[in-house]
Amino acid sequence: MRSKKTLFSIGVFLLLSAMSLIGSEAATPSPAKEIPISAEMKEKFPIKAHHAKLSLKCTDCHENQGDNPENFKLIGDEGCLSCHKSKVYLAERLKFMDTLHVNPHNSIHDGPKLYCDECHFEHQKSDNMCLSCHSNDVKLWMRETP
Amino acid sequence: MMKKILLFIKSKLFLFGAAGVFIGLLFSLAMYEGLHRTSDDKFCIVCHEMAPMVAAYHNDVHGGAGKTGIKVTCVTCHLPHDNVLAYIATKARNGVVEGAIHFFGNPDAIDWHANRANKEHFVEDEGCIGCHTNYKTNTNISAKGLKMHAHYESLKNTDKKIGCASCHAEVGHHGLKSMLNYYKPEYPYYNGKLDKQKEEVEKKLSETLK
Repeated sequence: MRSKKTLFSIGVFLLLSAMSLIGSEAATPSPAKEIPISAEMKEKFPIKAHHAKLSLKCTDCHENQGDNPENFKLIGDEGCLSCHKSKVYLAERLKFMDTLHVNPHNSIHDGPKLYCDECHFEHQKSDNMCLSCHSNDVKLWMRETP
Repeated sequence: MMKKILLFIKSKLFLFGAAGVFIGLLFSLAMYEGLHRTSDDKFCIVCHEMAPMVAAYHNDVHGGAGKTGIKVTCVTCHLPHDNVLAYIATKARNGVVEGAIHFFGNPDAIDWHANRANKEHFVEDEGCIGCHTNYKTNTNISAKGLKMHAHYESLKNTDKKIGCASCHAEVGHHGLKSMLNYYKPEYPYYNGKLDKQKEEVEKKLSETLK
């Protein structure tokens, strides 16, 4: 009689354990449909090293733009800032540069208001806008634009 | 003789047992207190080269700058928590290595800016997740945030594994980049021009750590 009871409780325990396992698997969201990246694509649309390190996929930035990379559009400030928070936040990150008024994210000309793609390009070399006037000084003030 | 001792122990079995438990508990208490008292910024900074990191930590929600003033200790994020023995071993090893660098090495030669490229290796994700338990489901996180957390999850146990700090670049140390620059500018142009900022930071730090 007693062994039956033990057997029953072990059964219930195992059943509950199995259920908790199933539950935990269901809680993990499945990754979005991936667009295969060919070597040719990689050459045509290279991404920045810091983004490549995170194994970001096309659709992580190009959200709701279909699955044909040829038709992808610019993601705009809103797209960049969906991860990078806000322009004020980014300016704050370079606060030490404010001391000498050379913070590119908070310049004395524009403040924290420039479009991201005034300087930063994901699929081609970035182009520091400050250089158009301060051609000799920028390399002293900051590193190459990522 | 042996038999006599054994008999003596047997007759006082309860006493010996109780003494054993007492010694065990005392040892655990000492270990706990020892680990506990050597886990915050005040202790770690004695040997670790980390003045700018601590100053930036004090400006962060994790370092008491939040609304509630709650602070997490250094070891919460920087030591492994999956197993007590690994925790103690890492803590002891770090203590010896950092102490040696502080007293016999050349701490000024450390390139903190370059080391930040390995930031995810200095943070134990289990420490983050220990508090942020619902990072995959918390509805206060933006849709993009949740998507990225799922991405993090999908890379776990692969060779592309990333860490919390891979994206959360200055987590726990608000304004770390600037703080490191006050102490040691990244570009020569700033040399000597940020000393006032450093002085202010040092003053505040010595007051806070008093």
